[in-house]
Order: sequence, then C-alpha cells, then structure tokens
Amino acid sequence: MCGIVGYIGNGDAIRILFESLKRLEYRGYDSAGLAVIDDEGNIGIFKKEGEISRLESVVPAIISRIGIGHTRWATHGKPTQQNAHPHSSGHISVVHNGIIENYQELKEELISEGYEFLSDTDTEVLAHLISKYYSNNLAAAVRQALGHVRGSYGIAILCDEIPDELVAARKDSPLIIGLGEQENFIASDIPAILKYTNRIIYVENEEIISVKQAGIQVTDLEGNPRIKEEHIIEWDMEAAEKAGYPHFMLKEIHEQTSSIHETMVGRLHELEGNVNFEELEMTQEQIQQLQRIEIIACGTSYNAGLLGKYLFEKLAGIHTDVDSGSEFRYSNPVLAPSTLVIGITQSGETADTLAALREAASYGCKTLAVTNVVGSSVSREASTTIYTRAGPEIGVAATKSFISQLVILYLLVIYFARSRSFMNANRARVLLSEMRKIPGHIDHILENKEKIHECASLFVDSQDYFFIGRNINYPIAMEGALKLKEISYIHAEGYAAGELKHGPLALISNDVPVVAIAPQGSTYDKILSNIKEVKARDASVIGIANQDDDEILKYIDIVLPIPRTDELLSPLLTTVVVQLLAYYTALERKCSIDKPRNLAKSVTVE
Amino acid sequence: MKAVILAAGEGLRCRPLTLTRSKVMLLVANKPILEHIIDALAQCGIVNIIMVVGYRKERIMDYFRDGINFGVNITYVEQKGQLGTAHALKQAFPYIEDEFIVLNGDNIIEAETISDLLENKSGDISILTVTREDIEGYGVVISDNNNVKQIVEKPKKDVSRMINTGIYIFNPDIFTAIESTMISEIGEYSIIDSIQQMIDEGKVVTMVKSQSTWIDAVHSWDLLNVNAYLLERCKQPIINGNVEAGAIIKGNVSIGANTIVRSGSYIIGPAIIGKNCEIGPNVVILPSTTIGNNCTIEPFNQINNSIINHDVRIGAFSYISNTLIGAHNSIGSHFITETGENLVIEMKGILHRAEKLGAVIGDGNEIKHRVLTEPGKMIATGCNIASGRNISKDIPEDALLI
Repeated sequence: MCGIVGYIGNGDAIRILFESLKRLEYRGYDSAGLAVIDDEGNIGIFKKEGEISRLESVVPAIISRIGIGHTRWATHGKPTQQNAHPHSSGHISVVHNGIIENYQELKEELISEGYEFLSDTDTEVLAHLISKYYSNNLAAAVRQALGHVRGSYGIAILCDEIPDELVAARKDSPLIIGLGEQENFIASDIPAILKYTNRIIYVENEEIISVKQAGIQVTDLEGNPRIKEEHIIEWDMEAAEKAGYPHFMLKEIHEQTSSIHETMVGRLHELEGNVNFEELEMTQEQIQQLQRIEIIACGTSYNAGLLGKYLFEKLAGIHTDVDSGSEFRYSNPVLAPSTLVIGITQSGETADTLAALREAASYGCKTLAVTNVVGSSVSREASTTIYTRAGPEIGVAATKSFISQLVILYLLVIYFARSRSFMNANRARVLLSEMRKIPGHIDHILENKEKIHECASLFVDSQDYFFIGRNINYPIAMEGALKLKEISYIHAEGYAAGELKHGPLALISNDVPVVAIAPQGSTYDKILSNIKEVKARDASVIGIANQDDDEILKYIDIVLPIPRTDELLSPLLTTVVVQLLAYYTALERKCSIDKPRNLAKSVTVE
Repeated sequence: MKAVILAAGEGLRCRPLTLTRSKVMLLVANKPILEHIIDALAQCGIVNIIMVVGYRKERIMDYFRDGINFGVNITYVEQKGQLGTAHALKQAFPYIEDEFIVLNGDNIIEAETISDLLENKSGDISILTVTREDIEGYGVVISDNNNVKQIVEKPKKDVSRMINTGIYIFNPDIFTAIESTMISEIGEYSIIDSIQQMIDEGKVVTMVKSQSTWIDAVHSWDLLNVNAYLLERCKQPIINGNVEAGAIIKGNVSIGANTIVRSGSYIIGPAIIGKNCEIGPNVVILPSTTIGNNCTIEPFNQINNSIINHDVRIGAFSYISNTLIGAHNSIGSHFITETGENLVIEMKGILHRAEKLGAVIGDGNEIKHRVLTEPGKMIATGCNIASGRNISKDIPEDALLI
C-alpha cells in the first residue's frame, strides 16, 4: 500500500508535500520520494529509503510551486532508493499506487523500442509509456498510455516542460482531488490534505484529471468531459483512523485475525507439510550445521524470542539463548560462526537490538532480522530479513506485531525442524493445518471478550498482579505482565510457575490476583499444583485454560477459556486473552491506553 | 449528500449464521451484503456515510475500517439497545445538516436503485417503492398520484402492492418528527410512525417507483438465490490464483490471489473462490458457489450452489449442495448434506418455508468424519460433532455430540 500526493499553487510545494506525506505515515512507510519543478523551471527528483524525515534531510531548500510525492509501504519486495518513486522517463515523472498486471509484456515491448529500465518496478513502465505518447498534451498522453495498461492504479504525473499542470488518474486504487483557493491537491487518502482543504472531489475509475492552479478538468478514457461534484468533508481524522474503536490498541487486537493471515500468506504448504522461506537464503546444509541460535530482542519482542527458545530447542533440537539487546552488547558474548543470531524488532529501529546485531556480525555469525517495517534499519544491518507483515501498528503496547512475530517463529522452527529431520512431514502437516485454524480461534476469543472485561473489572484496584506459566506458557506470562504494566500501571510480574516457591510466594496474599496460563499439555499437572500453592495463600486465581477443561474449575476462581488447539500453538491464543485483560484493566482505570506515560513506540535510543 | 445506513440489527431469521455476525455481514458473491450497498452508494457519488452499528459492530468496523479501501468515508455511531428504526436514525443526528438518504444495511441493491430515487425525489420525504406480488411481512404504501397518504405495516388486506423498501430521502425535519414519535405497541420507535406524523402535519411525502434491483433476503437460505443472482451478473472473472495444469475452469470463475487449484479439479462458473485457498486435487465445484478466503477443500469434493465463508476446511470425499457454511468451520471427510425441497422449517415456534435447502451451519464448528445432515437442518456455532452422526434435528450452540 502506498501513499500519493500532489500539489500545485502559490504555497511552498516541498513543505506541503512533506506535510501531506507525513499524514499518510500512519499507513506505513519504507521509502519515499518527490519530484518538484523550481522557479527557474528545473526539475528536481529526490528519493530515499526509510521514513519520510530521512528524505526531508536530503532535499535542498528550493522554491517550488508544483510537485508530486510518494510514500511506500511494501509488504513484499525490497525498498531500495532505485525502486522508490517517482519514476521518470524523458520529461515525465510518475508516482503510482497499484499493480500493473501486464507490465512484463509492456516492458519487453518498450525495451525493444529502445527504452532503458533502471528499476524492477511496474511503475517505470507507466513512465516510459506516457513519455512515449507525450508531445505537448500531457493528459492526452496519459490517456493513450492507460489504454494499453491492465491492472490497478492511482497515479500522479509531472512533466518538466509544463510547470503549471499535474495529471492524475485512477482505477481500483484510491485517489482524490482537494480543491483550495488558487491551489489544488492530489492525494491517495483524505487525511493527507485535510489540513489544507476539506473540499474534495472523488475520482472514479478510469477518469483522468488535469489539475491546474485555477481549476481542474476531468475526462474519461475516451476524452469526454465529466462533470464532478464537490464534497465537503467533515471528519474527525483521529476517529476515522480508529474506525469506530475507542483505542488503536483494541482495533489492533481485533486486527489479529486478519494480520495473522497476512503473516502466513504464501509461506504454508499444507499438502506437502512444509514451510516456504524464500527470503531466508540458507541452504539445507547450513541449517543442518547450526550449533546454536542466539535471539536478541527488547520488550515485547524479547518475550516472543523467549517462546522461540522453547520451540527451537523442543522441535528443532538447536540450543537457543535469548538476550535483551541492551544486556547482550555489554556481556562479552561468546559467539561462533556456527551460531545464527536472530534479532526481533517490530519497528526495525530498536537501537539496542541494532547494535547487538552489528556486534554479532563482527564474530562472523549469520544474522537474521524479524521485523514489521520493510526497509527499516535492521533490514540493512542483518544479512537476511523476514517481514512479519502485521501492518502499521499505532498503539504503543504491541499486540498484533507480537502475535505475528510468534507466527514467524513457529514457521521458522517448523522449517528448521524439517530441514534437520527433527520433524516428519506428517507432524508438520498437522501443525500447519492447526495454524490455519488459529484466526478462527482468536475470533472466538474476541467474540467472548466481555467475560475478560468482567474479570478485569473485578481486580481493577489491585496493586500487584502475578502471571505464572510453565514451559511455552512462561513467555506468555511474561508478556501478560508486561502488557499490564505498560498500560494499566499496575505492578505485575511474570514468573515461571515452578519458581514461585523460591521467593515470590512470600508476596502472595488475598489481594494479589494470580493469572495462571494453563492450557492442557505436558506441564498441566505441574501448574495445577502451583495453582494449589497460591490458592493455599488465599490468592484469587484467574486461569486461562481450554474451554472444555472441567478439572481446573475445581481449583481456580475465574476461568478465561480458549478454544482447544494443538498444545504447541496455545500461546497464540493465550496471548490474546492477556492482551484483552490488560486492555480492559487500563480502560477501567481510565489510563491513556494508546500512549502510556513515559513510553515510546519505537525506542531508538540506547 | 450523506447516507445513513442502518446496520445495528441482528437479522434473527438468518440464525444461526447471525449468532456471530449481523445479517449485513453475511456473504453473497464473496462480499458482505453491506459492501454491495456501499459499492452502489459510491457509484452514485455518495461517499460520506454514517453507519449506525450495534449488534456485533466490531465485525463491521474490522472489515470496512474508515472506508478508504471502498472509496468512501465512514463515521460509525452506535445504537445502544434495539429500539427501532427511528431510534437508530436518531443516532446520526449530530452528523446531518441537510438532505440525506437512509438505507437498510441488509437489502441487496445496485447503483441504479439509488439513482432512481435521486433523480425522481420530490417533496419533504421521498420513499423508494417496488412492486411485489407477495407482500406478506412488508409495509405497503397507499398513495394518490405518487403522494403518499399512508404506510400500512404488514397489511391484512390487499390494499396495495407497493412495498416500502426502507430507502428514503429525508431532510433534517425528520429529527423533529422523531423527537415526538411515540413508542409503538411492540416497544420500538418506528420511522414509519415519524413519517406518518409528517404526512398528518401536511408535509409532502412522495414515492418513487423503482424497477431496479432490490432484494430482501429474509431467511438465510434466501441468500443462496441472491448469491446465484449476483454471480450471474458478475461481469469480469478475474483469476489471480494459481491453476495447476490439468485443472479445468469453465465459464465465469474468479479465483483470488495465492489460491491454488490443484490438478484434476473441475470448476464450472459462475463461481467465486477467495484468496489463500487450497483447492484439490480433484475437486468439483459447480455453479452458483462462493468460497471465502483461506479455505482448504481437500481432494474428491463436490460443491454445488453453496456459500462457504472464510477459513473453512472441508475434508476429502464430501458432498455439499444448496448449503450455507459459516466461517472457521473444520469439517472432516465424507461430509454429506442432503437436499430437500419445499421444506417447512421451524424457528422459535414459527414455521418458515424453504424452496430448496441442504444445511445451514454457523461459525466455528468442529465436525468430524462421515457426518450427514438431513435436509434443512441447522448447526449453530461452536459445536463439536463426533464421527458418524446423522444430523436429523437442529443443533444448538456449543453442543457436544458424541
């Protein structure tokens, strides 16, 4: 998904384009670019990988009244400067959102006609095609070019010979025109320009718009004029972004059913019982020879890494350690080239994790980044990158990005286990088909979230909380405690259930709720006896357990049920329960959920 | 012009499919009913939409979000408590300044239906009507030369064949009328009463007859016909998925991205298959079938005239016909749905008629192997059904059949 903007008027085009692009940042970014014509009629094209402020730092102070801009959020493919928009050919520069389906044949045709291609993008085809038909009428050239194109597009075009006109068109990708006083705007999304005008024209499929300072002219693909109606937008931008939800966090918790699908798309081969990780660039031999895995991460990502440790050891037989980035760097790590170092960071900008990966690379280790932001710093730092594809996450408390990290780790473990012959194809098939059912199970939990809300209300005045779990449930206990701390400001501790009696049991009393992560599995009996231990100290016990588990009801006060799944996959479900528990606790305590005090979404300082 | 879509109700007669999502979110031609309405509005240039939500609102919000992917802006308002259409509409009051259109979220319409009303509106209120032979259960409009005199809800006598579609153009005066609308005998504030009140005050209320598409799917099984009707009208089939050599696609068939249709499969359109599905090998899909996203259809299945929602897994050697299957179902092998004709189906003590129906299955069931459903039987949600069962009566929510 990309963002497009365009401006023509008396204002400072560069400043306005940047402002508009930044309004689109909530939909994500991995590279950005713009093309402007300065007062002397010279064109300037600037592109940069990474967030928009990086582009801002390389654009010189030139005066311009016309330009187009682009921000990219790729879920697949590489965000290099070369592939960033705008793309140019001759006098023409184009920004594009969408997919040109017949770009391969068009490309071959254009190459045979002598056009030279500099990028791997389908957009460059558009630039050449428009350039090919351009003589002096830009709209006519665009019309002719689009006649040859199959696919979806929202485009804005600038021609360096015409400093007083922009042309835009759309088909199956969003595009709007904003009308101002002696200035007009093009954008892929309303928030981009709402600061400047609320007078909007919706562009329909296969319409071409010539945008000049004084006004706009709309025609269809045959060149017939179209009359357009102006719409006045009265819109609370923040509310719109939350799409009806009171908080981004709740919206993102709900999005987990769809974001997991995104994470899994194209990676599961259920029939063959295998996983596909083209991007991994590791041979079967390299995977077989791995002696050790070192996972480095901070915060929520650390908890994901902790689950990764259990899984890699249990299923793939690889000794695995987890360290937080800030500790690893100053601990004189012992590393050998046979160690794979995995860095997990949602933003891809976590300073401690980045530095730790750099350190690891200096030992000759292969480094693998798991991140949500395409083209982020970590993807340049690590030798290989796997993207979680959870989509932009706004709430500071990580939710959907965490669950996507877990999914990636599961898939990676299955891939390694298969490659090392630790798991047979049949077991992998069962696991993969169960994984495909996970979104449905999460859906079921969300359906019944009121029960979690009621539970949160009961303990809203607690000063302390304990979360306990064993084995693969321990990382979820940690995550539950972290979520609660982050947003509700209640002191919470995640503990390996067997460790309670080595100290913290002294803190348990009747006003300390204990959340036991206790789906049935290999450690179920053990955690039942841990529950009895805390029960004997009068604690209130909230059990997160399988919905058909009647046994546990005898020992606990409240059960928050999860649907039955493969024992190994239950963390994907218990996670959602602890997220909702934290959310509703914070809600009842009237905390600032999306922006908790003292915290930032992406920690770029060490 | 702004549009207010009333999408707060459940749609009781579409249970068990509506136990987990409201009727507006049920799939036809692989889109929720509500999306067909939003598409029609957007085509008519109506892009500012106030969506009145209530029952299972998250389903609607998660799907449409702020509307940008559908070419519209959506503002959500919540109706707390289901107190009738007038009460629902009242929730939109803060966002309305001038003339606006009101629609029900659960009727299938096309762009022409809306433009008929927009082009012929007049007076203080315009009501869109359609002619129907069978008016049972509807409100009818009694008029004098297109001037509406009265709206009669569920008439006992044959007073008019002009059905009120529930699509109106109002001006903000309606909110004044709503304020003084009395609660009805069934405990709801009805927009019909507000309109009648304006007629009685001497306001000009007109009706606009339309011959364009307006379908009210009353029961879940009516969606099968709507689905077939819409699939026939789909113009361009798009194949984004991967069709292996040896698989045959005939007629108007759309296949979503990342879906793989394995060798030996035979698909006859009109049909739509969503994204990320695994079909086959050797699966036969026959006309008027919709399959949602992320479905796995194991080998040797035959599926005919059915709607299968997202995230469904159907085991090998199953035969599914004239059937509706909700989301997140996991069905074992040798699953058979028997079809019956002219069925009488009892729901909450009331008898309903179904012309032709296999089974109706809600969300999130786990059905093991060799299960057979007798004609017209329903399985609710969250059920667990052991192998070898014959489903000869309706199965309630969260049932365990061993």
